[in-house]
Amino acid sequence: MDARNLLTLLVLVGSILLLALAAELLEVRLFVRIVTNLFIMLVLVLGLQVFMGNAGILSFAHVGFMGVGAYTTAVLTIPVRMKGMALPDLYPLVAGLELSPFMGILAGGLVAALVAAVVAYPLMRLSDAAAVITLFALLVVLHTIMLHWSAVTNGPRTLFGLPRATGLGLAAAAAVLAVPLALLFKESRVGLLLRSSRDDEVAAAALGARVPFLRWQAFVLAAFMAGIGGALWAHFITSFSPKAFYLKESFVILAMLVIGGPGTVTGAVAGTYIVTLAFESLRALEAWLNRAQIFAEQVVGLTEVVLALAMIGVLVLRPGGLVATREVGTWLLRRRSKKGDAP
Amino acid sequence: MTAAIQFVIDVLSLGGAYALMALGLVIVYGILRLVNFAYGELVMAAGYTLYLVGGSPLPWLVMAALAVAAAVLTGIATDYLAFRPVRTKSVTAVLITSFAFSTLLQNAAQLLISPRPRSIPLPEVFSDTVTVLGVVTPARNLITIAAAAVLLALFTLAMRRTILGIAMRAAATHFTMARMLGVPANLVITTAFAISGLLAGTVALLWLGRIGTVVPRVGLEPLLIAFIATVIGGMRSLEGAVLGGFLLAFIDTSLNYTLPQDLLKFRDAFTFSLVILILLWRPAGLVRGPATGQRT
Amino acid sequence: MALAVDGLEVRYGGVRAVRGVDITVGDGEVVALLGANGAGKSSTLLAIAGAIRPFAGRVRLDGRDVTGTTPERMVRAGVAMVPETRDVFPDLTVEENLRLGAYVRRRDRAGVEADRAAMFALFPRLAERADQTAGTLSGGEQQMLVIARAMMSRPRLLLLDEPSLGLAPTIVEQIFAMIAELAATGLSILLVEQNVSKALAVASRAYVMRLGRIAAAGPARELAAAADLEDHYLGG
Repeated sequence: MDARNLLTLLVLVGSILLLALAAELLEVRLFVRIVTNLFIMLVLVLGLQVFMGNAGILSFAHVGFMGVGAYTTAVLTIPVRMKGMALPDLYPLVAGLELSPFMGILAGGLVAALVAAVVAYPLMRLSDAAAVITLFALLVVLHTIMLHWSAVTNGPRTLFGLPRATGLGLAAAAAVLAVPLALLFKESRVGLLLRSSRDDEVAAAALGARVPFLRWQAFVLAAFMAGIGGALWAHFITSFSPKAFYLKESFVILAMLVIGGPGTVTGAVAGTYIVTLAFESLRALEAWLNRAQIFAEQVVGLTEVVLALAMIGVLVLRPGGLVATREVGTWLLRRRSKKGDAP
Repeated sequence: MTAAIQFVIDVLSLGGAYALMALGLVIVYGILRLVNFAYGELVMAAGYTLYLVGGSPLPWLVMAALAVAAAVLTGIATDYLAFRPVRTKSVTAVLITSFAFSTLLQNAAQLLISPRPRSIPLPEVFSDTVTVLGVVTPARNLITIAAAAVLLALFTLAMRRTILGIAMRAAATHFTMARMLGVPANLVITTAFAISGLLAGTVALLWLGRIGTVVPRVGLEPLLIAFIATVIGGMRSLEGAVLGGFLLAFIDTSLNYTLPQDLLKFRDAFTFSLVILILLWRPAGLVRGPATGQRT
Repeated sequence: MALAVDGLEVRYGGVRAVRGVDITVGDGEVVALLGANGAGKSSTLLAIAGAIRPFAGRVRLDGRDVTGTTPERMVRAGVAMVPETRDVFPDLTVEENLRLGAYVRRRDRAGVEADRAAMFALFPRLAERADQTAGTLSGGEQQMLVIARAMMSRPRLLLLDEPSLGLAPTIVEQIFAMIAELAATGLSILLVEQNVSKALAVASRAYVMRLGRIAAAGPARELAAAADLEDHYLGG
């Protein structure tokens, strides 16, 4: 890894560690919760960046794979005595299993990657627009399956009983690992070829790039990270339903990446920070408005409206996002060299 | 025999609705190369208009006309608010702004009207049943088939005979060249969105006629249908959209008839798998779009 | 219609394709714009036609400033452009292509009909293939189609970009015979060409572009005789 990327890595990982330290020291429960959730979001958004930033295709299915990870770890880690209540119809093969959350989280990532590998291969040969809308349809299908496969997911009802294994430390560790993963992929041969093929498919093919295969690799890695993120989240929140892996969540994660900048890892991280801040503030505002009864009815959906407007605004003014092309390491080094120039 | 006739009627009526829905999406995509994620909300706009005028003494046809007009206006608004500001920036930007706009519209309906289902007025004829060739079927199905046939015929005529239709087909092939012949870009685009709204608005009447209520999320299913039909039909071909719509209706109806009871709720997953198989075989869709190659 | 271009600059991002170009075309004149590939000739035409926004400079038609107008308005102003890429609409028939060319005059049905007939008389090959889709035409026939289509808007200034590109010599003869006939009707023509001899035979004046600037200008006869014309081309 060259100097710029190393610097980027240091800055981004440093920010994560700083936040974790602050949360640890301040010991405010709400803050710890928000920061832990933020770190899980980082894993998810970085996963999305791996695919969207390199292949240049919008993926709505990402959150679906989050769900796959979450339900995989649920099935494997809910204590056996609780499984009887939580998932009465669960298949005997897995009903007797009780793995450690760590194994469950890993399994979540792997199963998500496997599903992605199988389902997405034909989709990678589609034109950009066709791929986007087919991935959207994939999200809906994954959601439908989660909603109706009651034996495994408890259907539309809430699934409970997961061990609360994701604390501040684990989430921070996962986020710290996700950053170099995304950076390494971006600068790898696959990442470079993929990005260059967006500008000129013919030239890239001449270099030996098989674009569908490259896209597929990015997609599988992204799904793996989504699965891990989903499983982490499952062990954080300990109970959830399929509703959590659908359009609203897709929207939020997309907002994080789009506002930050899908083309850079720095953008993914920055966007997550900014949108989390905005989201939590808006949620607090919404709650306050409802308690103070300013409006006659419950104010619902204010957060999404503001996020939607923010996304449209960013796209009009800075279509590449806030951090469009240069990673923070590159930017810092360039500033230093500019300052160093003699007049 | 009656089962076969029932099947044919089901496929034709569902296919007609699906085809119109897909056509409305492709007409914008063909010219602008941009996917309109807020397309489903045109159905929602029509639905809520019907709800809002439902209490008045107007005849249903007038209410329906208002609903379709609402869809047309929303379509044009989508262009001005979500497409135009970012059209030149990037393809992804437009996808996201239209998705954000869709969320905006849904939440506006949620906030300003209600998140709960609201019933809409329907003409009595929708719930009547009719006997055709020994098969009893809702009149609604036959109306759908007729409406689809009429609209598709009118649409084809407009595209082939009128100068604006020719201009739109030209713009879909090579927008800049059309402009260099004097075709006003803005008019072509606004017309495309208006037609898109007209088609979606009409489908809305038929679609909502089956459900009877409207919710903020009502546009999602028609949107998905338009998406899938367009992808299997071929994204830049008007004929492909129609073909894709009928094919999708055929798949859905067949699965409805053949899947065992407990697998029926997974029907969409099965449909999607079949669609993936079709895409494996033909990634560009079944019908080729306008030729872009030239000979020197 | 007279065309006056002053200090035209066209940039594509950081690339300066046209770096200050002055061109005039008198009313009824045929002027040739010559130069090697990449000299900036097509960009100049596209900027005049409104398809690209110029970075700097002025474009005037009969004294009226039309710099940066949209292509639609330029057509209405009486300018028609035939681009180098010869964009027929391949899925539209020859008839539909021509009809579209007259879009700005669509309300004058009688006039458009008369012009259609005139174009078919001028280009009998097109008349034969009136109902064929344009994509099935040969290269030469497509070139005839795009010129005829441009004429359907009754332009007073015609911008032609490399009409002879990729065509066999006999076809090129025919195309240039057409161009001479059109010029005889009093149409102003700005002709970009790589076929130097043909262009100078039909033009009264010519400019030579090199690396985005005008390197030479003068009456066609003088330039045809000039020995250093080759240098401008080989020099790239």
